[in-house]
Amino acid sequence: MPNSKQLAIITKDIKSIAKNRRLFPILVFMPLLMSVGIPSLFVFIALYSPEELKDFEQMLQMAPTHSDDITTMFIELIINSIMPSFFAIIPVMASSVMAASSFVGEKEKKTLETLLYSPLPLKEIFYAKVMASFALSMAVSYAAFFAMVIVVEIELLLAAGIFIMPGASWLSMMLIVSPSISLLAITVIVRGSAKSQTMEESQQKAVFLVMPLLALIIGQFSGLLLVSAWLLTGIGLVFAALSALFLKSAMRKFTYEKLLG
Amino acid sequence: MQAVYANSLSKVYDGGKRAVDNVSFEISAGSIFGFLGPNGAGKTTAIKLLSGMLSPSAGSCEVFGIDPALHPEKVHQIAGVVTEHAQMYGSLTGLENLMFYASLFGMGRESSQSAALGLLGELGLADAKGKKLETYSTGMRQRLSLARAMIHSPKILFLDEPTSGLDPESALSVNNMIKSLAESEGATVFICTHQLRYAQEICTSYGLIDNGSLLALGSLDELRELVFPGMRVSIKASKMAQGMQYKTTGEMLYEMDVSSEQGIAGIVSQIVSQGGSVYSVMSRQLSLEEIYFALIERRNRKEGPGNA
Repeated sequence: MPNSKQLAIITKDIKSIAKNRRLFPILVFMPLLMSVGIPSLFVFIALYSPEELKDFEQMLQMAPTHSDDITTMFIELIINSIMPSFFAIIPVMASSVMAASSFVGEKEKKTLETLLYSPLPLKEIFYAKVMASFALSMAVSYAAFFAMVIVVEIELLLAAGIFIMPGASWLSMMLIVSPSISLLAITVIVRGSAKSQTMEESQQKAVFLVMPLLALIIGQFSGLLLVSAWLLTGIGLVFAALSALFLKSAMRKFTYEKLLG
Repeated sequence: MQAVYANSLSKVYDGGKRAVDNVSFEISAGSIFGFLGPNGAGKTTAIKLLSGMLSPSAGSCEVFGIDPALHPEKVHQIAGVVTEHAQMYGSLTGLENLMFYASLFGMGRESSQSAALGLLGELGLADAKGKKLETYSTGMRQRLSLARAMIHSPKILFLDEPTSGLDPESALSVNNMIKSLAESEGATVFICTHQLRYAQEICTSYGLIDNGSLLALGSLDELRELVFPGMRVSIKASKMAQGMQYKTTGEMLYEMDVSSEQGIAGIVSQIVSQGGSVYSVMSRQLSLEEIYFALIERRNRKEGPGNA
């Protein structure tokens, strides 16, 4: 649990990103696009252009559930198998934007040195900043998830009178993958923060995490593989182990001198 | 009581630059110590070594008995630091900034608010307390930085060019604040500056540094003893008496050194007895600036022209 001094840093970091006119819209609109815009688009394609579904024939053959209705099957596939891969971009994006602002942004604005003159040990400052980025990333991810569920279910109910429950893959996504991929993105930013001089430079490093996610999305559309709850749990656990390992080694390498260098 | 102790302290940066070279000094608690030298002399590096931001390449230092390289956070608890690179948050107001830093020192909401308001008032920032820092002028920012460094009533203040960018009125209020902190609260102040005239107004002891090496240490009188303890006399007269050693500095203006005030009367009487008229006489002791340059010159002579 963070102490009161760490809580002051966490609160300040979150407030400061909420006041940032450049970054805050990214944290609102990008998740909305990924969690509401893209699934809604697929829902509308399935409901109003069923002939387009033939293009997804190969993918539908891999579907774990076989409903008699191809439209329901397609929507179920999109929501429970395809969307989680799209969704994973949200915690990566949110945590990397926040971590870059929290670590490199402070350096860029020359406020890091002042923070380092506080009586908190370097380790506590480091973890307060990691916690701030993690908390914001989780808040954005959960808000995006609930927005997706509410909007898509309303769309399905109103347009087709059907209700499709989010499957087990979402349980893995929200409880394991989102937290672990957030931590991994934070770690990537933090490890590069000593060398990065600007936030943009630092955020570019998180692109390396988005690449495998894009490969996963392309893989699904081409019918090569389909995301399952087990696959997501496995990926999540690997990410969690990697981020724990990287965070500890990043902390060991941190010194005042390297941070201000 | 000893506030700061440095023993053969050296710092060599990765590129090989020797920023602080074998520097030793002691500062007693409650004094205002001026660490003086030109830009690039090693002053800021010294502050960073004493506050634990840098680890020494050789030697050691202590702040109130704490080794900053081993326990930087303990030094930070009792120290306030103002440097050019230690800025505050532009999106927060002056009051919010001070209260945030106070909370990092474990101060409660009420005590941090009252301390912040008190400092804002003393530094002439009461009217700007609710304005965002990004709207502050350079001078206002500098004063707020000083308030931030003092928010937790530190035992020692490390100030790097504290009056840089301040107008004369603001500089005066900052000086008064520093003096009263040292006098009434017994705080020790370590000031780094290249403004020697400013330092002479406020400091009680000095360390003169150039190229990372200490040139001299001590009070103003002790430093004068090293160069010339007597007085420099400026005379405006129709002519100078014969047999005297003097320097002409302008039309009817002459300058000479005497060992004491008694010597001045002898000079005046000699001029008058040789038919000259004396229009004005001014005497003063060597300023810090003159001492500094005299010591630099002496060192350069010692090292030879090749190293000068």
